[in-house]
Amino acid sequence: MKYITTVNNEEFIIEILDDRRVVINGKEYQIDFHPVSEQPVYSMLVDGKSYEAYVNPADNTWSVLLHGHQYSIQIEDEREKRLRSASSRNLSEGSEYHLKAPMPGLVITVLVKEGQKIKKDELLLILESMKMQNELKSPRDGVVSRIRIQPGESVEQRQILLTIT
Amino acid sequence: MFNKVLIANRGEIAVRILRACRELGMQVVAVYSEADRQALHVRYADEAYLLGPAPSRESYLRVDKIIDIAKKCGAGGIHPGYGFLAERSDFAQACLDEGIAFIGPKPSAIAAMGDKRAARATVSAAGVPVVPGTEGEGALSDEELLAIAPKIGFPLLIKASAGGGGKGMREVQSLHEMPGLITAARREAEAAFGDGNVYLEKLIDGARHVEIQILGDQFGNIMHLGERECSIQRRHQKLLEESPSPFIGDDDELRQEMGAVAVRAAQSVEYTNAGTIEFLIDKDNHFYFLEMNTRLQVEHPVTEMVTGIDIVKEQIRVARGRQLRYSQENLSMNGWAIECRINAEDPYNNFLPSTGHISHLLTPTGPGVRVDTGVYPGFEISPYYDSLISKLVVWGETRAEAILRMRRSLEEFKIIGIKTNIPFHQTLMDSHRFMGGQYDTRFVEERFSLEQSEKDHHGDQEIAAIIATLVAHRANQLATNIVQRGIRDTSNWKWLSRWERLQK
Repeated sequence: MKYITTVNNEEFIIEILDDRRVVINGKEYQIDFHPVSEQPVYSMLVDGKSYEAYVNPADNTWSVLLHGHQYSIQIEDEREKRLRSASSRNLSEGSEYHLKAPMPGLVITVLVKEGQKIKKDELLLILESMKMQNELKSPRDGVVSRIRIQPGESVEQRQILLTIT
Repeated sequence: MFNKVLIANRGEIAVRILRACRELGMQVVAVYSEADRQALHVRYADEAYLLGPAPSRESYLRVDKIIDIAKKCGAGGIHPGYGFLAERSDFAQACLDEGIAFIGPKPSAIAAMGDKRAARATVSAAGVPVVPGTEGEGALSDEELLAIAPKIGFPLLIKASAGGGGKGMREVQSLHEMPGLITAARREAEAAFGDGNVYLEKLIDGARHVEIQILGDQFGNIMHLGERECSIQRRHQKLLEESPSPFIGDDDELRQEMGAVAVRAAQSVEYTNAGTIEFLIDKDNHFYFLEMNTRLQVEHPVTEMVTGIDIVKEQIRVARGRQLRYSQENLSMNGWAIECRINAEDPYNNFLPSTGHISHLLTPTGPGVRVDTGVYPGFEISPYYDSLISKLVVWGETRAEAILRMRRSLEEFKIIGIKTNIPFHQTLMDSHRFMGGQYDTRFVEERFSLEQSEKDHHGDQEIAAIIATLVAHRANQLATNIVQRGIRDTSNWKWLSRWERLQK
């Protein structure tokens, strides 16, 4: 299987021949690849060199933490790449933005009202977690179309707090 | 004299204190909230008693319950750790009223230093220089603060009178943004300390945060244990500390001068037990009193590593009425120590707290490495308490050796299940400015970036690409189930059960 893998705008063509051999940009490597005790940590030996990395899926990408540096990596197989280039023109910009709780916590105050016009970076609400008050700001201009929480309410991670249109 | 100590705290510091008690042959009583039934300090203690529900107000801040437990189980001493009740003079007094030794200073000293405004006035009267601000003005209203601000000059800081740890603190650049910031600071101070009073202080440009560790006994002996450098901060939260300070380095004259001033400040309130005097040093090596922390500090281990003095054991001895075992003349600082605070925070997402289940944990060991921690694999990081989960401390003969040792220790440290700030520390260890000791309290926020690492990562980019692709490939195969017969490295039954577990 052939993949097109992009890291920091650099493209690598990676072909996985079998469990022990990969071809990267035309050059073949001997590899030995294992997850460590069923965790999102992987150990890889490449031509005798030993590496260990954390690999976690993120939104449409993979995040790899290696030697104290995090890489955001996009991976597509050939079919996906073709699909994407065919359909990308038809994709419209999402018109709704859902502000989600970045962590579990307690809603301290909500500083906006439904129907209120807001600007990018405007303070929307304050969420307390681990004794710190975190200010959540708007990522863009818009109107607060719906508020789903109240001050004093405990929220779960990724719970939708309010919606901006 | 007591032989049983109740530790009125949780997390890594409860474990740290417990270890000192054990080494002194004392019995240890732990207290815990409903969220901490499985915590390490409960598992290690001789006795453990439930305080109440998870929120601190209903558990670790319940003075009445803690005193009650101490009386029932016969604990003759209470160690408050840091945070929670550590700087509450009413708690120290309540202990004394019940005939229980409070392992810390006298209530009067806590009260005198606890109100940051009063403390500035006290040490100022003792001839110690302070940062210009609204000290000695009493509690001010918003209008009064706004009127005084232009006289102090911008930029300035709004700080909580009862504060610490950067909570209830806001930086102000101009008058028009000040009302909103006062409101935010008061709100945060009220939530954190139950006291919304704030004061103003001039922001010193290019300032370094250096503090002096103090130890005093009940016979009037007070000594200092040298300095700690704490300028690596983010939002006024310390992230890394070292001892000695690279700015003081060989300048023993400055060290002794600051030490003498710190001792004088401590004497002004007849200080006993362990405490810390925090100073700001400006570009011209002028130093100003910032505040006194009347408790054990998070970063005390770096001082322990270079002086060889176990501060917690010394605290307990002093509280039992013994004399200090050391004197200023025989104190020596040997080598260099660095501490990285390992926080459950995502450095790639604005340092937002990260909660969850620690599924896997590998702790660095080996020569010159010390880890103070309260977590273990299987432990749940809850949103109720602060995000510090571990302190990684290394010692080296020189600062260079300590940095290299910290690098290898950070690489060894594997915490899985939650996000931590380990990559932040790794990038910091590669920063040329950090290595050169060229930083101030604004370094992390203004001149440091995780994205622009100064290490060459180009070769790693390819490796990261391969690893990610292999993981994605595995996921694809699992999802589409296109594994040929006999190709799997394990029996199909085993594979199926693994696959089912993944779907849960």
